[in-house]
Amino acid sequence: MKIGALTTGETTRRLASADGLAWRAGPFVVRLRADVPGFAGQLRLLYGEHRLVETGETNDFHLELARPWGLRRWWRPKVFFEMDGPTRMAPFPLDHALPLFEWGFNYAIATRANHYLLLHAAVVAQGERALLLPGLPGSGKSTLCAALVLRGWRLLSDEFGLLRPSSGLLAPLPRSIALKNASIAVIRAFEPSAVLGPEFPKTRKGTVAHLRPPPESVRAQEQGARPVWVVSPRFEAGAAARLVPLPRDHGFLRLAHNAFNYELQGERGFRAVTRMTRACRFFDLTFGDPGEAVALLDGLAAS
Amino acid sequence: MTGAATLLVVLRQPERLAVLSAPEQEFTLRLARRAGLLGPLQHGLERSGLLETLPAPIRDGLEGGRVVADSRERAILWEVDRLERAFFGTGLPVILLKGAAYAALGLPLARGRLMADIDILLPRADLPQAERALQKHGWLTATSDPYDQHYYREWMHELPPMRHCHRPTELDIHHAILPRTGRLQPDSALLLQEVIPLPGRPGVWTLAPVDMVLHAMVQLFHDSDFGANALRDLLDLDGLLRHYGPTPGFGDRLLARGRELNLTAPLHAALYFLERFCQTPVPGHEPPGWLLRGLITLAMLPDHPDPRRDGTSVRLARWCLYVRSHWLRMPPGLLVTHLTRKGLRRWKQHVWHRRGV
Repeated sequence: MKIGALTTGETTRRLASADGLAWRAGPFVVRLRADVPGFAGQLRLLYGEHRLVETGETNDFHLELARPWGLRRWWRPKVFFEMDGPTRMAPFPLDHALPLFEWGFNYAIATRANHYLLLHAAVVAQGERALLLPGLPGSGKSTLCAALVLRGWRLLSDEFGLLRPSSGLLAPLPRSIALKNASIAVIRAFEPSAVLGPEFPKTRKGTVAHLRPPPESVRAQEQGARPVWVVSPRFEAGAAARLVPLPRDHGFLRLAHNAFNYELQGERGFRAVTRMTRACRFFDLTFGDPGEAVALLDGLAAS
Repeated sequence: MTGAATLLVVLRQPERLAVLSAPEQEFTLRLARRAGLLGPLQHGLERSGLLETLPAPIRDGLEGGRVVADSRERAILWEVDRLERAFFGTGLPVILLKGAAYAALGLPLARGRLMADIDILLPRADLPQAERALQKHGWLTATSDPYDQHYYREWMHELPPMRHCHRPTELDIHHAILPRTGRLQPDSALLLQEVIPLPGRPGVWTLAPVDMVLHAMVQLFHDSDFGANALRDLLDLDGLLRHYGPTPGFGDRLLARGRELNLTAPLHAALYFLERFCQTPVPGHEPPGWLLRGLITLAMLPDHPDPRRDGTSVRLARWCLYVRSHWLRMPPGLLVTHLTRKGLRRWKQHVWHRRGV
């Protein structure tokens, strides 16, 4: 059964229960407790296609959006992200519970999922051939990722390339794509039928709105993909889209530098990046218009 | 069986994890994570060849913990290497304490052990020279607060922690194993007389096995608040005694050395709890008084993966032991002044520090 098959009331009730609500997100089972007004509807919008997990299956994360009992429950109320107890994440205002959950989930993966090489990249695929978009914040990674999945690419993840060192495959983790500031309008103009969650102003990254992951991508979330192309995007207002091939040795350094836990992985991290470098072609992509960039990347995939 | 009791059994006999139900496996994994014991558990299961029989999410959780523990061990051993270089030609010895010593000696208990920082021991007279050598090679003192500096230099058994400017690992330089203001004052000269060279690494030393055991015992049963690392520290002791205990005469030497260093009380308490929780083979000993016995029994084992969901009696016991550890650290007058200062500082931060969105 999918989360979307529950009513909002039932979702709210389950989230607030002692066991919380559990669902499968890519390779993980996440169990979340939350007693936050309005949150259930937002969760259903972004995770509607995700499969519910019944009590008894093994959970990877026990998360909670917790409201404090003191002053901050009533006056300018706050909400805390917790994972088996308190975490280092600073609290958010109560009505920003959704961005807190999305960032908290990222934090949970980044601190716990060290059985993967964690690449800081958006990942999309055609069939089982994956395209990685590594990039620093502000590079246009999420915007381009959103544009690609709105034009039929399969979404693996907007944030993490989860690479299994043993198999060399990328595990999909299709979740919402967090669009920030100007990209929200860009994507609305690019595809008027795009389904976005509410806009959250004044977060630490400015205004954020979440694009719902394509249902087909969520349904394919257990099919891994092999890395084939690595394209580092750079948004430049008004620039014509341009794809420049990179030599492999640069590619290696890009990947090693891009992984959150490359040093932590030690030798197996080196081997995983080596293997991936051998299998991939590397490019720099400058773009001003997402449509042009998508056309270039479609061409790359067809060639 | 409670979760913590299950965890203890599984750490001794990894094969027992495979026969638990899925929810029990998950709960044990979460407790092990809280106690920083995923690494040893993963190593144990790998050695017994049982890893493949476990469900994928349990295996993944263990592997994630193992990767972190292995990287910490690499980092600590690299610090040892860098310290050798910093002290080269100065005549200063690199005497490793605790985790760094276990790792450098390749003891079985070091496999997967989650290490935070590196600790070394030096004669007090050598500290200024050591600080200069370290500063020259890029180490900086991690705190510049004058009160913290004073606290460490005047009262503690170690310098303010240092850190190399390019690496995150904290370096603690001890000149004794207990604070200068504490109730017990084991003579560091006796420890330094008996240090043992690390095979194949001239200039690197560890404490003698009996002293390593005593140091770990003192840390846990005299100078600790039984916080997050208590169970790991207990398992260190279990591992040390299982490794060195079978050497003929070890038990007698341990008891004699305890008397010589004036550490009989923590030694006997440690032996009592090792036998009780880990069934470690130990020499004869006197059990500690009923109060301490009760408090430590409650505080030692984690109740729940979420620390706030530990039972009330458990939290109360930990608070009592926290007070005890401070009581043993400083004379009452100094303790009151110190805690007031610490409390004020925390209060100020709480009041003045505004958290952003």
